[in-house]
Amino acid sequence: MKLAGLKSVDGAHEDSIWAAAWVPAADHRPTALLLTGSIDETVRAWQPDDLAAASPPAGGHALGVISLAAHPAGVIAAAVSIDSHVRVFDVDSGASVATLDAAPSEVWGVQFHPKGVALAAAGGGSGSVKLWDTEKWQPIASLPVPRPEGARADKTGSGKFVLSVAWSPDGKLLACGSMDGTIAVYDAVRMKFLHHLEGHHMPVRSMVFSPVDPHVLLTGCDDSHIHIYDAKEKGLIGAMSGHASWVLSIDVSPDGMTVATGSSDRTVRLWDINARASVQTMSNHSDQVWAVVASRPPGGEGVRAGRLASASDDKSISLYDYS
Amino acid sequence: MDLQTNEAGEIRSGMEKMRRAFEIYPYCTLALNHLANHYFFTGQHFVVEQLSETALSSSSHGLLKSQSYYNLARSYHSKGDFETAGRYYMASVKEVNKPQDFVLPFVGLGQIQLKFGDFKRSLASFEKVLEVHPENCESLKAIGNIYANLGENDKAIETFKKVTRIDPKDHQAFVELGELLVESDWAAAMEYLKTACTLLRKAGEKIPVELLNGIGLLYFEKAEFELAEQSFKEALGDGIWVSIMDGTAGSSIANWSVQYRDQSFFHQLEENVSLELPCDKVTTLFNYARLLEELHDTVKASLLYRLIIFKYPDYIDAYLRLGSIAKEKNNIQLSIELIGDALKINSKYPNALSMLGSLELQSDETWLTAKEHFRDAKDATDGKDPYSWLQLGNWNYFAANRPEKKAPKFEATHREKAKELFLNVLKQNHGNMFAANGLGILHAEKAQWDIAKELFTQVHEAASGSIFVQVPDVWINLAHIYFAQGLFQQAVKMYQNCARKFFYNTDATTLLYLSRTHYEAEQWQDCRKSLLRAIHLAPSNYLLRFNVGVSMQKFSASTLQKTKRTVDEVRATVSELQNAIRVFSLLSVASTYHSHGFDERKIETHVEYCRHLLDAAKVHRDAAEQAEKQTKQKLEVTRQIALADEARRRAEEQRKFQLERRKQEDELKQVMQQEQHFERVKEQWKTSNNTPGKRKDRSRHEDEDGDSGKKRRKGGKRRKDQKTKMQYEDDEEDQYRNEPEEDDYANMSRDPGGDRPEKAPDHLLAAAGLEDSDAEDETGHPQSVIERKRRAWSESDDEEPVQRSVQPTSPGPNDLSE
Repeated sequence: MKLAGLKSVDGAHEDSIWAAAWVPAADHRPTALLLTGSIDETVRAWQPDDLAAASPPAGGHALGVISLAAHPAGVIAAAVSIDSHVRVFDVDSGASVATLDAAPSEVWGVQFHPKGVALAAAGGGSGSVKLWDTEKWQPIASLPVPRPEGARADKTGSGKFVLSVAWSPDGKLLACGSMDGTIAVYDAVRMKFLHHLEGHHMPVRSMVFSPVDPHVLLTGCDDSHIHIYDAKEKGLIGAMSGHASWVLSIDVSPDGMTVATGSSDRTVRLWDINARASVQTMSNHSDQVWAVVASRPPGGEGVRAGRLASASDDKSISLYDYS
Repeated sequence: MDLQTNEAGEIRSGMEKMRRAFEIYPYCTLALNHLANHYFFTGQHFVVEQLSETALSSSSHGLLKSQSYYNLARSYHSKGDFETAGRYYMASVKEVNKPQDFVLPFVGLGQIQLKFGDFKRSLASFEKVLEVHPENCESLKAIGNIYANLGENDKAIETFKKVTRIDPKDHQAFVELGELLVESDWAAAMEYLKTACTLLRKAGEKIPVELLNGIGLLYFEKAEFELAEQSFKEALGDGIWVSIMDGTAGSSIANWSVQYRDQSFFHQLEENVSLELPCDKVTTLFNYARLLEELHDTVKASLLYRLIIFKYPDYIDAYLRLGSIAKEKNNIQLSIELIGDALKINSKYPNALSMLGSLELQSDETWLTAKEHFRDAKDATDGKDPYSWLQLGNWNYFAANRPEKKAPKFEATHREKAKELFLNVLKQNHGNMFAANGLGILHAEKAQWDIAKELFTQVHEAASGSIFVQVPDVWINLAHIYFAQGLFQQAVKMYQNCARKFFYNTDATTLLYLSRTHYEAEQWQDCRKSLLRAIHLAPSNYLLRFNVGVSMQKFSASTLQKTKRTVDEVRATVSELQNAIRVFSLLSVASTYHSHGFDERKIETHVEYCRHLLDAAKVHRDAAEQAEKQTKQKLEVTRQIALADEARRRAEEQRKFQLERRKQEDELKQVMQQEQHFERVKEQWKTSNNTPGKRKDRSRHEDEDGDSGKKRRKGGKRRKDQKTKMQYEDDEEDQYRNEPEEDDYANMSRDPGGDRPEKAPDHLLAAAGLEDSDAEDETGHPQSVIERKRRAWSESDDEEPVQRSVQPTSPGPNDLSE
């Protein structure tokens, strides 16, 4: 599998871009959309083929957007900003749907349930994952991350800062990653903690389940490694190295064979999961790459499978085709 | 004589003749010597010795005796009995008057002396050989080696160059030249080593592993990683590592690759494949693994290290590299265990001790014992290793800043000690950047900016010119100095460059320094942005959140104090204050389950102050919006007035124009009439008066007067209009200027503790913003020390395996002194 650059937009935002998400096509909108969020406190939408601006920038995301997630139905999306608000909005009109708040805890990464019934958010310093239903936007649950056995109690309290969340494609597992490298896996049906996954000792900023194997979890970590876990069996089944700095973002191709990562080393890398090896490196960004997102084909006839977008501190976004 | 020819048949017949001669007269020394010579080549040492001894006892002729001694010496030499050989060589040499007569024992003697490390005498012996055979390559090479051993590299290089001139196919000489030049002249070294390679290839000989390894290292040093990899791969040839590299060594390899100390995988693997690792390839494999680390492929690198450990469990550096990798991944526990393994092999291994010390320094519980390990490391190297001195210096500096040792007495002692140690290192290694940097820090802490700056600048310059030595701390330190001297712009630039150059912009601490600089420079928006970036990198650092709150509060306060603001600015102020309140309140509640080190009351004060500011700001905003609305209305009115005026003026003009035209017409008519009248009068042929015409003229004049008067009046009116407008604006401005004071006052009197929030936060703010940043400043230094240590550490690790790489802790006198 190979990436080919399609289009880049320099100065897509006024400042560093920190988050991106594909909104799947919907009944009323035949094409997918790319959303990007920035420290400039706006979320912008882009056309999937030429990255033309799809709507005027939506402001109000105070202190900068750190995470974006799109509902699978393609109508709404959620944006998290440093002020710890989750703003749910209508993608096309930009109208606010709900503003969620898990005060006093921070909110960091968010992901919608694959069926769209719930929204999971990494609960920052509360050391837990917060869940809301997507109808009334009421909190459903708060899943705490237990301290791993034998771990030392940290005095600073900064250890259990939950950064990232991921749902398995069948919706049965939920995983969260934190600042100290702890990964916790939950039974998302019974809302029960299952176990920790070990191997990282630095912040796990991004993770994703394989779309073909609902047990396989891929993680990107500040230790510049990518780990492949069997989230059900609690095992580390692979590790890949090659990035020179933090792995900030990770996504997987729809066929589950290829992983894309964005790193502080300013590159986007493509990895062959079976060979456990890096197969391609894109160096078109000039600063940290905070987001790489692969578009998902289901329900999106208008979108060709195999689009990848990356967003960076250098204010630009890039679109790639892979074949 | 037949013996001199090398044909086997001839030798045999010659031998026959000799034997006959021997049988005829068994004490003919000449014959005995020749026989001995023969048996030496056939390897029958016992016979050689017997014959030679017989020859010795039967002759008193110097040269013949010398030959006999030589035969004996040679025999012992080849048997490995160097002492006896040496004695006989000496005896042989003594019998020779002029080296021209018989030069061979000098060669032998030189070799023996070289063997025993007696370089001076050995040199003399070989020089004797050169007197006879000035172009003898073997002797020249021996001399070259002696010079190299004596540290006279220039002479050694000169000698080997001579060899290559005499025999341009002597690959050994090229290899030696290459190795001699490795440190001084990269390009030449590369050239020589490559020539040696080509020569060997042409000769169809196998290129030695060491040669390829050397070439690989040279490429490595120049960061030519692909070429280095090629060389290492060629040196390694085929082996298990190939399948490790392409991932075919078994699918289970990846599963297992994370358990660094588990070797069961290799045992499993060995059942199917042979895991051979010839000992001459270990070093190359190790270097290859270092290269992979440099290429960030740590997963494969650690596999290779573990293969090395599996086959050579005493290869201590492999443990240390694994320990270092574990440390990079922040797996401190594993790192300590691996260093422990290394220390089990050699409890006095200085690198392992240094690493252990560095790890311990980072932990609150163990930092005190770190000193012991640094000291052990120093003792293990007999105090010759500047790195261990440096570490002791750093430790003392670190200790000086520890809260539990914060007593001024201890602090001063530790500083003094640190200074002494750094100076000591500098005395030994004039160009040691790390020691100079440390010294700079000590000066900086005493606010001796100029000295510190000078030191940092020098280190900065030296480090900029080197690929292998990276001293990000000096960038930071220099920036600190700029900051302390109020050169904010330079400081900002320095911090930014450092973050980008060394940390891929991932260092939240540098961003904190940056924000502090912006704060001092009163660039609130930049300050806020830097802090937000830092929060994005280190979301669990609550200090950053607090600071971002302070920066927004400061921004708002300063905007409100401005005499002239736009409505947008005031609106921004309001939203920033709302954000600040949110940030502070979140912090305040978070403190119930987190101890992030902030006094809750302090946060409360900030919240209160921000609320108060917000109230004020809201009033301002409303007022501003109101004013804006009014202004707009006013403007609209003015515009309409102006429009009306314009219309009126136009109409007037039109009217005037028409009036004029009519007047003109009238005049014309009048003139015509007058003319007609005049004509008539003329016609009437009578004298008459022309007063009506005059009167008309006058009235016309009056008319004009009236017009201009009107105009003037109109103009005046307009000016008045303008005046009122300006006045209005003035009023508006006055309003703006007055309002805040009134408001503030009102608010203050409304709030009983109003005086405090007004002043205290300002104070607090300084306290919060500045003190915090000061605290950072202080912790920043040791942190950079640790950072430096880490650098130094990983670099110093290079020293052992990659021996030819520049030794970073002793970058050579040319780096700093010049």
